[in-house]
Amino acid sequence: MKANLSWLDDPEVFRVNQVPAHSDHPYFKNYREWQKQTSSFVQSLNGNWRFNFSPNPQTRPVDFFKTDFDSSSFDQIPVPSEIELNNYAQNQYINTLFPWEGKIYRRPTYSLKQKVAGSFSQAKDNTVGSYIKHFDLNPALQGRNVHIVFEGVERAMYVWLNGHFVGYAEDSFTPSEFDLTPYIKDKNNILAVEVFKHSTASFLEDQDMFRFSGIFRSVELLGLPETHLVDLDLKPEVTDNYQDGIFNAQLHFTGKNVGSVHLFVEDINGKTLLKQKVKLASTVKIENELLKNVHLWDNHDPYLYQLIIEVHAENGDLLELIPYQFGFRKVEINADKVVLLNGHRLIINGVNRHEWDMKRGRAITLTDMKQDINTFKENNINAVRTCHYPNQIPWYYLCDQNGIYVMAENNLESHGTWQKMGQIEPSDNVPGSIPEWREAVIDRARSNYETFKNHTAILFWSLGNESYAGKNIAAMNKFYKSHDHSRLTHYEGVVHTPELKEQISDLESWMYLPPKDVEAYLKDKPQKPFVECEYMHDMGNSDGGMGSYIKLLDQYPQYLGGFIWDFIDQALLVHDLISGQDVLRYGGDFDDRHSDYEFSGDGLMFADRTPKPAMQEVKYYYGLHK
Amino acid sequence: MAYTNNLQVIYGDATLGVNTQDKQYIFSYERGGLESLKIRGKEWLYRVPTPTFWRATTDNDRGSSFNLKAAQWLGADMFTHCTKIQLKVDQHRFTELPVAPINNQFSNHEFAHQVEITFIYETLTTPQTKVEITYQIDNNGHVTIKMHYYGKKDLPPLPVIGMRFIMPTLASGFEYDGLSGETYPDRMAGASAGTFKIKGLPVTKYLVPQENGMHMQTKRLTITRNTTLNNADNSNEDFNLTVEQTGQPFNFSCLPYTAEELENATHIEELPLARRTVLVIAGAVRGVGGIDSWGSDVEDQYQIDPSQDCEFSFRLL
Repeated sequence: MKANLSWLDDPEVFRVNQVPAHSDHPYFKNYREWQKQTSSFVQSLNGNWRFNFSPNPQTRPVDFFKTDFDSSSFDQIPVPSEIELNNYAQNQYINTLFPWEGKIYRRPTYSLKQKVAGSFSQAKDNTVGSYIKHFDLNPALQGRNVHIVFEGVERAMYVWLNGHFVGYAEDSFTPSEFDLTPYIKDKNNILAVEVFKHSTASFLEDQDMFRFSGIFRSVELLGLPETHLVDLDLKPEVTDNYQDGIFNAQLHFTGKNVGSVHLFVEDINGKTLLKQKVKLASTVKIENELLKNVHLWDNHDPYLYQLIIEVHAENGDLLELIPYQFGFRKVEINADKVVLLNGHRLIINGVNRHEWDMKRGRAITLTDMKQDINTFKENNINAVRTCHYPNQIPWYYLCDQNGIYVMAENNLESHGTWQKMGQIEPSDNVPGSIPEWREAVIDRARSNYETFKNHTAILFWSLGNESYAGKNIAAMNKFYKSHDHSRLTHYEGVVHTPELKEQISDLESWMYLPPKDVEAYLKDKPQKPFVECEYMHDMGNSDGGMGSYIKLLDQYPQYLGGFIWDFIDQALLVHDLISGQDVLRYGGDFDDRHSDYEFSGDGLMFADRTPKPAMQEVKYYYGLHK
Repeated sequence: MAYTNNLQVIYGDATLGVNTQDKQYIFSYERGGLESLKIRGKEWLYRVPTPTFWRATTDNDRGSSFNLKAAQWLGADMFTHCTKIQLKVDQHRFTELPVAPINNQFSNHEFAHQVEITFIYETLTTPQTKVEITYQIDNNGHVTIKMHYYGKKDLPPLPVIGMRFIMPTLASGFEYDGLSGETYPDRMAGASAGTFKIKGLPVTKYLVPQENGMHMQTKRLTITRNTTLNNADNSNEDFNLTVEQTGQPFNFSCLPYTAEELENATHIEELPLARRTVLVIAGAVRGVGGIDSWGSDVEDQYQIDPSQDCEFSFRLL
């Protein structure tokens, strides 16, 4: 197959040759590797790559993926990082409108009942990063099937290895995995990745944020053992009396189907509660294993059980070891429309959190994540909405371990296609109910679900943010409902199309609804529990009047609470030549127009991760219903 | 018991001076206020204190167009119009200001046990309203300052009602007995009460400089400086001014900038070099709000009603 530039213009092409999305479990060669938290099956490709920047597709080096291409004129760029923050392209912050506002006229293809050709493949604003990485395989990966995983690339990417086209991916915030086996060599591999800032996916990724592009999350090679657990699907349940656990797991293997699987579940004292030895098959099911008197997981006591899966060859050799921690917890809506966790009313003391680092943009580090978790714990924040895209994988593990309730949101926001200057005007809305846009958004739901489905911390799947609502978002809801009975779905935008409320969202959600209007809903026989998926807009000196919301928690059990907008200011650290200081800059400070200027900074934290004065208020109010 | 008049009153030609054991006051008839407050030889005032009505627009104020509605108060804050001065020394109420030739009757040995001087201001708003600031110096030499704002119908909504003191040099810090952190009427539930020592004059680093640093419900505040503008004063020793509640606790901010200076900057690094101390004592503080930043106003009970009178007082030690 050959790469085709027109895929950028076609919403029906969003993944080519990608490995299907699967669970995010780690795997090791043996117990010592697990102890050291380094898997010899994994080879990181992070570091400096060769790089060429082109302002548009027409000026890009078309043949750069060929093995005889002379890339001596290329620069170097660190991977992961944002192209803009390496000063190749202009930083731009814009909220609801598209970044090309006032520069290029665009309507989403098919939205006005007609196909539009060349919107992005022929566009003068579609910057291109041409990345080349030369690498040798680590000895431990040689002779194996080898995959490559890109954990996050904005926004459309073509991949070649040793001159052969490998695949294409959109959806910037979920892993894209390709099989390199047919073209891989032990030495002197040439990996070529072409990253486009825009494609039809740009209409689905109109989040209120700095608009970046590039390989901004880690890239790694995976060597596959002879038999490999490719997908782990845990479905732990809690019995109706909230006493016992029921362990269910489906294990999907690739490679040789001989040998055996040893599975253990241990509590925190190392006591084995479940021990199974099963013959290997492409699918291994362990179902309805009753574990008496389990310790339930919640914010106060995030108790996790240790699952250990050993995959053995026919001769008994350990082929791979999969450790995974999971908890037992049950989330449900009772007959009174109250959300319960483990039989008790759940109260969300939440924040929305963009991934942000004032120096690195969205290419955040584990240090940033750990610091954020500590801030949550210090200030009684018990929940996070991953606004408005899936986060880096380690974040979900940290939330499991620290009892942070997660509203796991899809990578979807098409704000500029339905709201203009504050008015609702959905005439060119996507995904809407347009068939050509349906599979792309269902795929986003699938990737989010399949990747993170084993994380105990996720209580809610959020279909996306501010995308209006039509049949396609209803189809995303249906996807979750047909795959997962253990969590609730959330979507706010259905307030604009109430006729779809039956099909979309288990929760009634209305962002920034003033307290008196929230109360009006709660007083009038609520059909669904109510959540403010965004409230207390923390722009500048703000967070006044929070008590009016918190009071409602005492009066109305159907009020689930809310997620403050938002956790951290989006501002970039820049050296100011006039004052000689390192200073924080926001939208418009880079000559970027059209811009929404200081609206990029709505955090409870300043961009340097120090708390705003309002934090003591949040700590107090969130401490009232811990 | 013998009664002693401790206040020496200087009936000047453009000012009224009051000398006490460790304080010297000069009230300027021309500038319309307290021109000099010297405590143990250190000057505390750069210009006369004035009523203050403006706060640097917050993001929420901008989003709800509060700044557009309240804009008249910006002019009223920057430009003060003193229309009348009333003087009372002990029981004697002067019907006319005692300038020449009236003051020809006095000497350098005029003593009293109480001096009360009131400055009456008219606001540059439509409609106009009146503000009175009264300085009452007691026989111990302490001054109690009372400000009265006269409410009037049809005035635009108010950002703040307070008094602004500008001090000649930067304070090295302040200590107060009140609430922790930066507080506003609608954001003070989470604060703890206590005594807090603040180093320097921190400006909260909101991306766009705006109203910041308010401290609600304060009983006592002590500002410490160690520099003066006096060329003959080489000392670097600390010296203090204390503000104390009289009836009700007071609200204050202590920053190196006026509301107008904050208003003019789009980034924190654009603020002028910090060189003075700006103390605002506020009788009425508007909440900051937070429902959203694009239309919702501060909740009703945290807005300042311009049609209502507002009076507050405090004492300087």
